[in-house]
Amino acid sequence: MNARPKIVALCLPTFLALLAAACGGGGHGGNGGNGGPPPPPPKFSNGSLSGQYAFSMNGTELCAGQGSFFARIGTFTADGHGNITNGLEDLNVCTGTDILQFTGGKYSIGADGRGSLSLTNSTGTTNYSISLASSTQGTVAQVDPTVTASGTLQRQNPATFSNAAIGGGYVFDFKGVEVTSTTVDPASIIGRYDADGAGGIVNGLFDSNIAGTLSGQQSFPSGTFYQMDTNGDGTGFGRGTANIAGRNFAFYVVDATRIKFIGTDFPSALAGDAFAQQNAVFNDGSVRGDYAFLIDGLNSSSPITTAGRFTADGAGNVTDIFADENNNGAVTLLPQGTVTGTYAVDANGFGGGSLTWTDTTAGTFSFIFYLISPTQAVFQETDSNIVSDGVFAAQMTSPITSASMAGDYAFVLSGVNSGGNEQDFVGQLTLDPSASFSGLLDSNRFATTTSQQVFDVLINGSLTLSGNGTGANTLNVTEVSPADTFHFTAYIVDQNRIFIVCTDTNRVLSGTLTRQP
Amino acid sequence: MHLQNCGKLASYLLSSVLALSIGAAPGTNAGAASQSVAEERSARVASRPVARANVYEAKRETVLEGTVMSYTENSQSAPTGAHVMLRTASGSVDVHLGPATYLQSRHFSLVAGESVRFAGVSVLANGASVFLARTAQKGNQFITVRSPRGFLLANGAARMLPAAERAQIKQQGGAR
Repeated sequence: MNARPKIVALCLPTFLALLAAACGGGGHGGNGGNGGPPPPPPKFSNGSLSGQYAFSMNGTELCAGQGSFFARIGTFTADGHGNITNGLEDLNVCTGTDILQFTGGKYSIGADGRGSLSLTNSTGTTNYSISLASSTQGTVAQVDPTVTASGTLQRQNPATFSNAAIGGGYVFDFKGVEVTSTTVDPASIIGRYDADGAGGIVNGLFDSNIAGTLSGQQSFPSGTFYQMDTNGDGTGFGRGTANIAGRNFAFYVVDATRIKFIGTDFPSALAGDAFAQQNAVFNDGSVRGDYAFLIDGLNSSSPITTAGRFTADGAGNVTDIFADENNNGAVTLLPQGTVTGTYAVDANGFGGGSLTWTDTTAGTFSFIFYLISPTQAVFQETDSNIVSDGVFAAQMTSPITSASMAGDYAFVLSGVNSGGNEQDFVGQLTLDPSASFSGLLDSNRFATTTSQQVFDVLINGSLTLSGNGTGANTLNVTEVSPADTFHFTAYIVDQNRIFIVCTDTNRVLSGTLTRQP
Repeated sequence: MHLQNCGKLASYLLSSVLALSIGAAPGTNAGAASQSVAEERSARVASRPVARANVYEAKRETVLEGTVMSYTENSQSAPTGAHVMLRTASGSVDVHLGPATYLQSRHFSLVAGESVRFAGVSVLANGASVFLARTAQKGNQFITVRSPRGFLLANGAARMLPAAERAQIKQQGGAR
């Protein structure tokens, strides 16, 4: 009975969000009618998605009666009025690789930045839920009955669709599966290279982790290159091809700071992004301060994801280590005992390095990294039989409070349910200064028989900060229908980004919240 | 844009100079230049401690035989996926098989009372012992669930289909 006023308080923002969605269009509810006093100007509308956007996602497709890893990256052009006018994508699916041109499509963006997107090519139409963080970036999940996937989209800068514009140093992180005729194993490859502005690559270095077998740092084999397509797809869509770390890829340029890659060495499949590396000679002093991290991948139990934070002293030592590892439902929280660690940046100055910490109770956790800059890096776990990678990023130095974190966030989550089947979520929530939140999400829960797509589901919950907020915070999310409660640990990167990892023992789930304007 | 390209060019030139300073020929891979660094880091990585308690170590693989007591597709205990509670001569064992959808696609099912044989490795998950099955055999029916290194084949086994079967699936269509 005492809970009722609280429920009303929690439901009110949700009701208003629903009202805004109904009146302002968007989501899967479509454009509804109107009436009553004019609402405040919406933060988002169909006009928020306008121009050329590169997207990338990976997930699970139904193939020969079973779930199978796949990846897609590409680009579409949105006209700002709900129509997709053009586009191209590369697929790596169970039947092979494909390049498909979009001949049309529709989209609808609601006032909260959530929306729907359909893309039509010669094989049919695929459907997506999206959640915009701004008019230049967002999250996306495929919501078809036989395919689930999630990823990101960013607005492209066509002025950078040339070999010269994407010259310079880049750090990359690719993940997926390496397949032979007899087996399939998870793969993670991280590294860096210098593009010479004319299609050549030098100073290519990588570390691969294939089913837990570490390559150690390797130079790129001969034959490495990058090349924008010369058939019109390069200048039109930002597409090109490359050989990176001995593997063949297609890529789509977002802009000079980011390129999306997809592996074309079928039956293997890799996908990931490359980020422009800061012009610097890196050393131990480059890693100094507080960092939050989020990685995910596979181990022998299957999915594993870990989020956490550490402080680096710029001299090879890490302290104040927190980590939440969900190893397919087996949850390990650090610290359990005393945790100490060290790191070393490679002496060659290219930004590679290793990091290890040991919890006197839980054991040792080992990683390698390649610095994009002193404030961010790609990050790969190197512990036995674990293939997991992601990023670490500098944490904010200003005080973290409920008030400073209040605001609107777009989010994307991916993982598996208790059946071990993939599930993807995209949505939006509004965190108020008292640290309560409400919002809406769409989800796709894969099954070989009846995958479940659920749209416009109400969620609410709270973010409970611990200490100064730089450590392990608690984020509990209640989903109204289907009724469920998710328990997350939240690691705050800064006022614009939060990494979250689910600590429930009957699922694996992690993702990122990104602040909206 | 111009400034950004200048920055990138500067970055490239700096990298080349750096490569030169440590012995690499310009226009080639870092190669021998970073050999000592690679060896140093490989040594650091190789010196990492052995696997944690919940990972598959092939060298510890054993065989389990027994009778199915129960079969669950959606386990509420880790690891997620299908579990079999198996009665063996030495007691009951919780056996993990990964996503049930993979078993179903291969027409492999288990019900109480059936005799079954598993090869795999016993690990700890949330403090409880669980046997990660790599193979399962019921009568003449045999299924491989994990790769030799212990990773679930469910993540991409369809990619190993013969070319003819892949072509047939592609021809059957569906939006991609």
